Amino acid sequence: PKASHGGRGCYAWLCALLWLLGKPPAAVFVAICARQGDSSCRFLSVSDLFDRVIQHSDRLHSLSTGKKFLSNGNELGKWTGKCHTSRMLTPNGKEYVQKIPREELTHLILRLLQAWKEPLSHFDQNIGHHQELSSDSLSKAKQISNMVHELKTGMEKVTEKMQSMGIISNSLNGMGSSEAAGLSISNEANLMSDYEFIHCFRRDSNKVQSYLKILKCRIWPGNSC
Amino acid sequence: WKDNAASSARLLLLIYNLCISTGQPPGRPELLRCRSPEKETFTCWWKPGSDGGLPTNYTLFYSKEGDKSIYECPDYRTAGPNSCYFDKKHTSLWAIYNITIKATNKMGSNISEPQYVDVTYIVQPDPPVNLSLEVKKQVDGKPCLLLKWYPPPLADVKSGWLTLEYKLRLKPEEGDEWETIFVGQQTQYKLFSLNPGKKYIAQVHCKPDHGEWSEWSSESYIQIPSDIELKDVLVWIFVAVLSSVICLIIIWTVALKGFSMVACILPPVPGPKIKGLDTHLLEVGKSDEFLSALGCQDFPPTSDCEDLLVEFLEVDDSEDQQLMPSHEKGHPNKNMKSTHKETDSDSGRGSCDSPFLLSERSREPRIPPSALQTPDISEISENNARKNSCKIQSTDLKGKIPYFSIGGTKLSAWPEAQLPNNQTPKCSYHNITDACKIALGTMNGTVTSVLGGNEENQQSQYSKPTETIREEKLDKQGEVESLHSKADQDRMQLLPTEKSPFLSAKLMDYVEIHKVNQDGTLAVLPKQKEDSGKTENCTVPGTSKEYAKVSRVVDNSILVIIPVSRVQTTPMFQEPPKESVQNLQQSQTEKNMSYCFTTPSECKKDTGGLDYLDPTSFMHSFN
Repeated sequence: PKASHGGRGCYAWLCALLWLLGKPPAAVFVAICARQGDSSCRFLSVSDLFDRVIQHSDRLHSLSTGKKFLSNGNELGKWTGKCHTSRMLTPNGKEYVQKIPREELTHLILRLLQAWKEPLSHFDQNIGHHQELSSDSLSKAKQISNMVHELKTGMEKVTEKMQSMGIISNSLNGMGSSEAAGLSISNEANLMSDYEFIHCFRRDSNKVQSYLKILKCRIWPGNSC
Repeated sequence: WKDNAASSARLLLLIYNLCISTGQPPGRPELLRCRSPEKETFTCWWKPGSDGGLPTNYTLFYSKEGDKSIYECPDYRTAGPNSCYFDKKHTSLWAIYNITIKATNKMGSNISEPQYVDVTYIVQPDPPVNLSLEVKKQVDGKPCLLLKWYPPPLADVKSGWLTLEYKLRLKPEEGDEWETIFVGQQTQYKLFSLNPGKKYIAQVHCKPDHGEWSEWSSESYIQIPSDIELKDVLVWIFVAVLSSVICLIIIWTVALKGFSMVACILPPVPGPKIKGLDTHLLEVGKSDEFLSALGCQDFPPTSDCEDLLVEFLEVDDSEDQQLMPSHEKGHPNKNMKSTHKETDSDSGRGSCDSPFLLSERSREPRIPPSALQTPDISEISENNARKNSCKIQSTDLKGKIPYFSIGGTKLSAWPEAQLPNNQTPKCSYHNITDACKIALGTMNGTVTSVLGGNEENQQSQYSKPTETIREEKLDKQGEVESLHSKADQDRMQLLPTEKSPFLSAKLMDYVEIHKVNQDGTLAVLPKQKEDSGKTENCTVPGTSKEYAKVSRVVDNSILVIIPVSRVQTTPMFQEPPKESVQNLQQSQTEKNMSYCFTTPSECKKDTGGLDYLDPTSFMHSFN
């Protein structure tokens, strides 16, 4: 959470600077921090920023795969329905993920995150009504909701950065459509049971995590790839 | 009934055959597990149930989430028996598979329970490969182990599709427990806490971020080199050898010089010592120096021969003759006489016992006393120059051994019997209170004992042999001492150390009285010994009461004797000083000469070595 906050501030300044300078160079490894004493603000490259995003998604996914949420073969049988994000066409294989252009992938990530933003907030608000889950699960749900929000915000920033850097092309249209798609989808999320809700979230967080990693290694191969 | 049995048996057999031949439908198979090694493909294994005795066919059916159609396993062979392999085309992530196994035989079929599989969560990679161990020396000399490995070949880590985490485990070869280390996503690791000299086994395995741990890789061995290098061992060996050598040297030194060291550390208690007095001088024989420290003068007092008082002249030729003037000492005299046989000059008679001495010496070689005297003599010869002392020189080897006894002087010459012939006279020494000193002339190897009574140093020297004898001849000693006391000065008697050897007195020569001077001095010439008869009477002249006093020594070789008319109460038991006048020359005619007279040898024999002077020869001189 801190990272994303600090990152947000840095991104803003950086973007401002870059806008002043015009077209930014291909790689900018400067994060100008306006506020002094901000420990989270330091010189970061975009790849580092991306790494932070990925770490965040890992944490998110780990939370979702708690003891309660672990599913074996039998439990999966209970689930008959679908996730509200099932309609989104997402690559389900490595080759497909690698074939998708970066912009699409980035967009996809954002859409996914967006799609879960609303249901999670709804989940927290109605937490009292969910009696199937344990208290531990409920607290986790709250945490997940926050993290998703932070992750989405951070991803948006990075996306903007990358777009400004020319790493990915601008496609504002995609952003807009994701918003719309997310809204429609989230309505359907209310129909899911809790178990399905958690299970679907777990899958999608894994997707996001995988997509992010693939994307990062495609853009910045080497270091941790 | 026979027919009924046969028919019933036949019926039973038919039923039985029917039962056997039909078989059973297969038992229920069971899906064991499904695994994906790289999150791209997966395999499922099942366990067949009972086949019912009939050949059974197994088929796997699956359906995906969101797809209602059922598909059969695309590949039954790749993964081995009772398995189904789903390749990339047939693998869909983030989708739940519904898998069932169906066993089919002639009798029927059986379907297993459905298994729901999400490939994302069944990833179990292969173990990592190429685990390499390398020991590296650090800056501080400590070894560190560097482990390197590679992810399994199938896992696509480069594209970021799989994120693997690794775990290491090590143990010493003979150890039991593994030490597990979680490494993370890196493919190398540095290990520091190692025991040198041990062999380690290492293994590694991996796990995807949401999967299961792989199997452990194959074992890799590494030998940690011991930190004791050859040069360290050599240094320690060198140090050990050096220290042992030093210890040995110390022990050897202590052993050899231990006593002196002990003496140095623990000095002996010093004995009593008179300051300024060196007792060592006594041993050496330098009585002069010794006594000078005492403050004594000339002890025994030395003076010119002329000043000396000759107390008596002892002449004794046989036992029955009283030679001693002091008749009160007759007993001792006799004793002396008797013992004179054993001793040569202990009798106190102022006669040289050289024949006795010689004879005895031939019998019993007693070199040491003479040897003792030898240095004295040599010293005497040295001192001769500075003092007027009677010099009595022994004869040469030819046997001319003039000797005489001088009363008061009590000289006895002891020429050393260095030569086989006993002709070398040996006179016993008396300590000379008077100034008679027997100087060793230049003789051929013979040494005459000179009584340097005047010399303190000589005195002390003589006293030494005297001392040795004293204990043996107490009676004589008494005589001697009495004589001693009678003297004006202290007179230490020199008793002959060699009493017995001096009993043989064959080599006594006569002294021919050369002439008599006006004042009554006698001039005596040495007489040829060979012709000298031994028939001289040994009668002791009654004129023993007359003693010749050595007035002086002339020419280093001549003793001047003057008669002294006085009766000696104390007999001079001392042996008459035997001095051999070597050069009794004719030239002494005008001089006062004193001579030592040697008693005839026969007299010696009779009297045991008593020497006496034939008074008749010089009687006439005493006018």
